[in-house]
Amino acid sequence: MGQFDAVLNKTTTRRTFLRSMAVAGGAGVLAACRKTETTGPGTGVSSITRPPITEETGELLVHEWAGYESKWIWKDYRDKGYPDPTYSFLTNTEGVIAKTQGGFPWDITHPEVGYIQDYVNMGVLQEWDTSLIANFARLNPVLEATGNIDGKQYEIVTDWGYSCPLIRTDKLDPSINSYSHLFSDEAAGHIGWFDTPWILQMAAMTLGVPADEAFFMDDATLTEAKDFAISKASGVYTIWVDFTQMWDDVRQGNLWATYAWPDAFVVLKEEVPVAYLLPDEGALSWAEGLVLRSDTENYYHAHEYADAWASVTTGEKLIGLWGYGHSNLDVDLSEIDPEVVEVFGLDDPETNLSEPNSYIDRYQPDRDRYNRAWDEVKASIGA
Amino acid sequence: MATTGLTSRRRRRPSGGASSWGIVAAPLTWVIVFFVTPVIMIAIYSVGGISGLSPNDIEEWTITPWKDFTTSPVYMGGLNPLGSGLFWKSIRMSTIVSFTSLVLAYPIAYLLAMLAGKRKYTLLLIIIVPFLTSYLLRVLAWRVLLNPQGVINTFLVDTVGILNGPIPWLFNSSFSIYLVLSYVWVPFVALPIFVTLEGIDEHLLEASSDLGASRWKIFRTVTLPLSMPGVIAGFIFVFIPTIGEFITPQLVGGPGGFMFGSAIQSAFSFGLDWQFGSAMAMFLVFTVAILLAIFGRYLNVRSVAG
Repeated sequence: MGQFDAVLNKTTTRRTFLRSMAVAGGAGVLAACRKTETTGPGTGVSSITRPPITEETGELLVHEWAGYESKWIWKDYRDKGYPDPTYSFLTNTEGVIAKTQGGFPWDITHPEVGYIQDYVNMGVLQEWDTSLIANFARLNPVLEATGNIDGKQYEIVTDWGYSCPLIRTDKLDPSINSYSHLFSDEAAGHIGWFDTPWILQMAAMTLGVPADEAFFMDDATLTEAKDFAISKASGVYTIWVDFTQMWDDVRQGNLWATYAWPDAFVVLKEEVPVAYLLPDEGALSWAEGLVLRSDTENYYHAHEYADAWASVTTGEKLIGLWGYGHSNLDVDLSEIDPEVVEVFGLDDPETNLSEPNSYIDRYQPDRDRYNRAWDEVKASIGA
Repeated sequence: MATTGLTSRRRRRPSGGASSWGIVAAPLTWVIVFFVTPVIMIAIYSVGGISGLSPNDIEEWTITPWKDFTTSPVYMGGLNPLGSGLFWKSIRMSTIVSFTSLVLAYPIAYLLAMLAGKRKYTLLLIIIVPFLTSYLLRVLAWRVLLNPQGVINTFLVDTVGILNGPIPWLFNSSFSIYLVLSYVWVPFVALPIFVTLEGIDEHLLEASSDLGASRWKIFRTVTLPLSMPGVIAGFIFVFIPTIGEFITPQLVGGPGGFMFGSAIQSAFSFGLDWQFGSAMAMFLVFTVAILLAIFGRYLNVRSVAG
């Protein structure tokens, strides 16, 4: 354990110590003083005596993506009269990991499933008690499985989407259902990559590497994918980081083929001829949701909040407004644009999100190797 | 003489003691706590002396991050300044931008200090005002001007009709990076040059003129040499921050806008490769420190401080 761990642990020990006192030696005394609740039987959550929700502070700290603080998302939580959460905003999950290591406080945050293991390794998460989340039974089991590590539900997976090519159908042939659009000579000069090492996985899949293996390439395969990407990099118009800029470039015809998320299709299909492809190689997809801080003082409030996120009404709005998927399987799709439902396979998300149709993001222990290879690709493009 | 006595009193070094230390203590503490200590910690972290911050940390003393970086053809690229290494790419960018900024800023500073008379401070303010707005906004505004459907291309292609299509090198290119960065930094170069020019004793210029020197000769042999501290300071003001620049190249440089600073940022984000990123960051700190030491030999701080 590093020296910093020792320091950080000291900062969290006070809370932990007080809780330990309450649980162990002080439990009897506390029980005599106030009503307590025990959670966990049948859920895999170890029995810990906690103060009831009425005795929690209710000052829920939520570290969220901008936009996800919208009140309609946690309407059910609000309707129950709980105090509004306090939001802070994240721009990427790696940044949250850094902040968390530095002692930044949150009760709930919203990582992609591929990063849950990182948080678990840091020891900052506790599992959810799914019995306290009424909507949990309605959630897509394929997605929820990605939030479960060693039988513990560390993440309530709420939203998902694809990372696939969006193409201008007036410029490129949509019948070619492949990631190859992002490396094609036909689209050279009009290709948009997102700034992510996933481009290397897409390159590998274009070269025939199976999608699930592309997450864990050995050095030789990664080098092959990197070299292929480098050979095609001169045809890249932009490596975007701001999706609104990418949307503009598609509108203006600067981009004919680009890495995109579903929201791009929902917005752009009304303006220019575009198609969103779920490639035959297998569609790479992301899923994310809520994780619970191990030392939260608002355990029950957090569960109520997660329950609101998992609700049907939140799911319907999330899909309708942004085109993102939601894990609740009871969402009424009749109000959703039929084209969106069809393109993203929302009518059967369990099948469409399962392999080999789709490959959901997963923990990659050697991200630094992928990242350095991705750096090499970017560095190969002269300025 | 009274004057001598006054001068002598002014030049006397302030006595040390508790009051002097009291004045220095606050800023010194600030620098030590918020600058020196973090830099030392990053340096130690880069060799594994501190670990556990990132899930991928090497938890023992190691030079691996430094070795990986310095031997990499991608990040360092050997000792060839014209090579493909990102470090040298950034050095080249900083050098070009610094010289371009100097060339653009010097006439402005000269105009203000020498020719603008009583209006010089008003004009200086006018030059500085746009730079009170957000840095990002100004850079984004250049996107509107330079992109293929932007103001310049639209004017040349659609309005005037002298081009068949957008100028390819105007946007997402080295040119756009140099142009925007030079624009951003010109005022910061103009200010120290302005200060040094203003500090030049007018009698020297009059004497040169009386002795028959032409305007050009006066500029070349008197004004320019005396303004060199400002020129060097301006160069440093641009060169140092632009070595680590990554936002502007990213916004206007297109796919080729990946710089050394971008690699550091990338190591701290996608890869959670923080020890490697720390090694690169420390290398940049050392580079800047060496450059400061070299430039410092030629820089009279008092002359550019007004």
